[in-house]
Amino acid sequence: MYSVIYNVWLIPLLPILATSWIALGYIFNFNRGESGEAQTAKTSLTAASLSLILILIIDAYAFLYSAPGQLKLSPWLISGDYTIYISFTLDNFALAMATLISTISLLTIKFSVNYMHREAGFQRFFMILNLFSGAMLLIVMAGNAVFTFIGWELAGVSSFLLIGHSFDRDTATRNANRAFITNRIGDAFFIIAFALSFIWLGSIEWNDILNHNAGLSSLQIGLIAGSFLIAALAKSALFPFSPWIARALEGPTPSSAIFYGSLMVHAGIYLVIRIEPLFVIDTALLPLLVLIGLLTTLYGFFTSLVQTDVKSTLIFSVTTHVGLMLFICGLGLFELASWYLILHAIWRAYQFLNAPAHMHMMSRPTRKVHPLFKNFTRLYTASIQRFWLDHIADWLLVKPIEELSRDARNFDEKVVNRIVGLPAQATTITSLDENETSSDIGKGHGMAGKTMEWLASILGWFEDHLVLQGGEGRFIKLIHHLGGYVLQIDQLLSQPRYLLILIITTFVVIL
Amino acid sequence: MHDLTILLLLPVMGAVSIALVPAQHDKIIRKLALLASFAALLYSWSLLYSFDTTTAQLQFYETTVWNTRLGTSYSLGIDGISLPMVLMATLLSLISILASASIKNHRKGYYLLVLLLESAMLGVFMAQDWSLFYVFWELTLIPLFFLIDHWGGEKRHTAALNFVLYTMGGSVFMLISILVLFDSTPEHSFAMSDMMARARELPHNTQVLLFLGFLIGFGVKMPIFPLHGWLPLAHVEAPSPISILLSGVLLKMGSYGLIRAATTLPEAIISLQNLLATLAMFSLIYGGLLAWRQSDLKKMIAYSSVSHMGVVLLGIATLNIVGLTGAVLQMVAHGFVAAATFLLIGLLYERTHTRDINHYCSLVRVNPRFAFFTTMAFIAAVGMPGTAGFVAEFHALIGGYERWGWIVVILSLGVLISAAYAIRTIGRLFTGPVQCQIQQITDLRKTEMLAASVLTAGFLFIGFFPAPILNIMSASLNELSNVFAVRF
Repeated sequence: MYSVIYNVWLIPLLPILATSWIALGYIFNFNRGESGEAQTAKTSLTAASLSLILILIIDAYAFLYSAPGQLKLSPWLISGDYTIYISFTLDNFALAMATLISTISLLTIKFSVNYMHREAGFQRFFMILNLFSGAMLLIVMAGNAVFTFIGWELAGVSSFLLIGHSFDRDTATRNANRAFITNRIGDAFFIIAFALSFIWLGSIEWNDILNHNAGLSSLQIGLIAGSFLIAALAKSALFPFSPWIARALEGPTPSSAIFYGSLMVHAGIYLVIRIEPLFVIDTALLPLLVLIGLLTTLYGFFTSLVQTDVKSTLIFSVTTHVGLMLFICGLGLFELASWYLILHAIWRAYQFLNAPAHMHMMSRPTRKVHPLFKNFTRLYTASIQRFWLDHIADWLLVKPIEELSRDARNFDEKVVNRIVGLPAQATTITSLDENETSSDIGKGHGMAGKTMEWLASILGWFEDHLVLQGGEGRFIKLIHHLGGYVLQIDQLLSQPRYLLILIITTFVVIL
Repeated sequence: MHDLTILLLLPVMGAVSIALVPAQHDKIIRKLALLASFAALLYSWSLLYSFDTTTAQLQFYETTVWNTRLGTSYSLGIDGISLPMVLMATLLSLISILASASIKNHRKGYYLLVLLLESAMLGVFMAQDWSLFYVFWELTLIPLFFLIDHWGGEKRHTAALNFVLYTMGGSVFMLISILVLFDSTPEHSFAMSDMMARARELPHNTQVLLFLGFLIGFGVKMPIFPLHGWLPLAHVEAPSPISILLSGVLLKMGSYGLIRAATTLPEAIISLQNLLATLAMFSLIYGGLLAWRQSDLKKMIAYSSVSHMGVVLLGIATLNIVGLTGAVLQMVAHGFVAAATFLLIGLLYERTHTRDINHYCSLVRVNPRFAFFTTMAFIAAVGMPGTAGFVAEFHALIGGYERWGWIVVILSLGVLISAAYAIRTIGRLFTGPVQCQIQQITDLRKTEMLAASVLTAGFLFIGFFPAPILNIMSASLNELSNVFAVRF
């Protein structure tokens, strides 16, 4: 039984392999179209079931004996004096999360087989779905920050792809971009966090970061924990990153929604609970957790009250609860938060999967404005506007960056291009005449190009007038000319008087 | 009979048998020529099996005294430097004969001369006696003169005459040097090894003067600026298959001779090292810029040859193992690349009767094979990583850096310029409207594709796996660089 544990790497790999297989099938054209749906579904279900069975075996082992804990399999990357291992964390919390993710993934896949039937992009959807569940499994089971990060990124990419599933719709692609870029902010801090722990601790194993960090000052610990925290905030759509999650609803209903409702949205909280030892050492961050949790809860609460469609209401209520989880963490009750997380995930999965069916079953007039807002019209406006978080982000980040890039582009066009001399604006030659006349041979652009042109024309002149002329005409003329002289001398010498003189001179020289 | 004599005689036998066939059987004549050059190719490549890469000694050496009173001898031999040249010569000869299908008039004379030329080229690379070397050197001129003069383009007479005059003019200086060397050897022997031993004992100034003689002789052929006056005209006017041989093999004779002369007179080349490097870098830039100015494709490649041979000269001038490796490797690389470009441009010219780059656009849409191979050839001409030119230029760059430091950045500048004209040409092939004249032309035929793919595979193979060819050269180049290393 224990040997199964060494095959733990199969658990996140199986869904990813399913993705690759479906992709190959699509490229080589053996699962396209409606006829390929059954095969695609079977592949996905098999992979998801197998990884669930593997997890259940490990669960059973953990139940009978104890959780295997940290597991180093083999080095993944060795360079210079550092080694990154393929390692897994298999403690109780990770196993519980993995079981949860695997189960929900399996159920979602099963649900989607019917739901996505005859939809455009059936295969594509399952590719992403499998990739996503593999990524989530990797996040919770990875034994070091790098592998967690790989899962983290894959989850980000697949959520980007899911949101933009109907890429022909403008809003879908725009929202996908927005969600992805917001996530990237968190990713940057994730990288900072494990870079810092790498520099200061020389290791990125979770075990080393969390339990063998005695040598670090509390400021260093705070920096590492703070960076991980920002990564978690972005992933879990906590304040101030909350707006992206509402945009995530663009994805195909409800299969993608359950990921934002029940799985990925909890990844951040999972990370926070995972790095609990750091918060315990550096307690200064706990009040921050409380504050952010509270803000998120309030944001989610008020915004959800004014939503008019079921999915938005649900997603903001998810935000509320995730905020509460962070709040509970901030109080130091990490254990409770992890229970909360798991229960919430199960509940939301059910709710999101059911929501569209409920919508079909009953129709209801637009719900009335909540009585709470009766005396607080400004709060109502703020809630409707989702507290202007998007606008603030636009104003604070997007606009300045846009302006900066415009300036950079101007600089590039007006200064750099002129000096370096890229070919002028790509001209499209439309007619044959133009093609013949607009010869650009030997013409340079920009300062460097002009210098080159000038130098080349000088050398060309040199070549034409000195080297080639010498070869073509003058050299031969010169030889003719010299030949004439030699002939003359020869004729002179053949005359007796000069021959005599020559003989006499020879004698004089010899004597 | 000895291996190398057989190799030398194979094309000659082909030529003799062609001479015996009546001129009207021109299909038989072409087949005979193909057969002879293919036999020579197989024979030369089979030498690889018995070639010992661990020693710098001459291999397959044979010597027979020719004229006791003069001290001349018929001695042939190859080492790690001449073997790649011999292999190149036989390969490119076959390819040039393959590409000669369009030569319709006086086929008999044409193939006869090409085979004689092949034999003479092989002789140059295998000769181990300066007199024999000189004989073969001059012998290449005769077939070439007629090939250009008879089957060339419009200005072929001028081109042929010009070519011969230039080479002969250079050879005179080389001959004087050889004779002075001969005179100074007490044994009165022309054998390269004897001359080498004696020449190294000569006073320094004499050595320098002798080396200058060689430099002029070989510099014309290579060509080194300002002795390249014959090259643009000859390359443009020569029929395309002959252009392949001209730039692929004939130019290498110059640099090969220069390496031999450097071995003979090491002190001289050490004191002229900086002059050579300056000439090399100037040739590099000069050739590149002029190539960039040309709208005639053949002329462009001709000038790019000047630029590429600058890299060879630079490699030789470094006099260290890395640079010399770069030089010999560049000789091989340029052989492949120049042959490929001339082959393709020649075949295009056959079909369109224009070499003006402005007349070609969107070739890829009608003639994808042409466009593919031409693109590959131009990419290789730039020396992109993954092609033979990259490995060679990289070696030359490192060797040059060891000797002169940052000045060799000029080499990179040369590469940049070559990129400018190569990319422009590639751009022409892929953009613009489709011209109706070009629409009529047929794509590469099977034999032509075979020739182009062999060359493309050649420079790609060396680009990705340079180890085998480096292995062939390493022992000889090691010894060569030691000759200079002990004198610094």
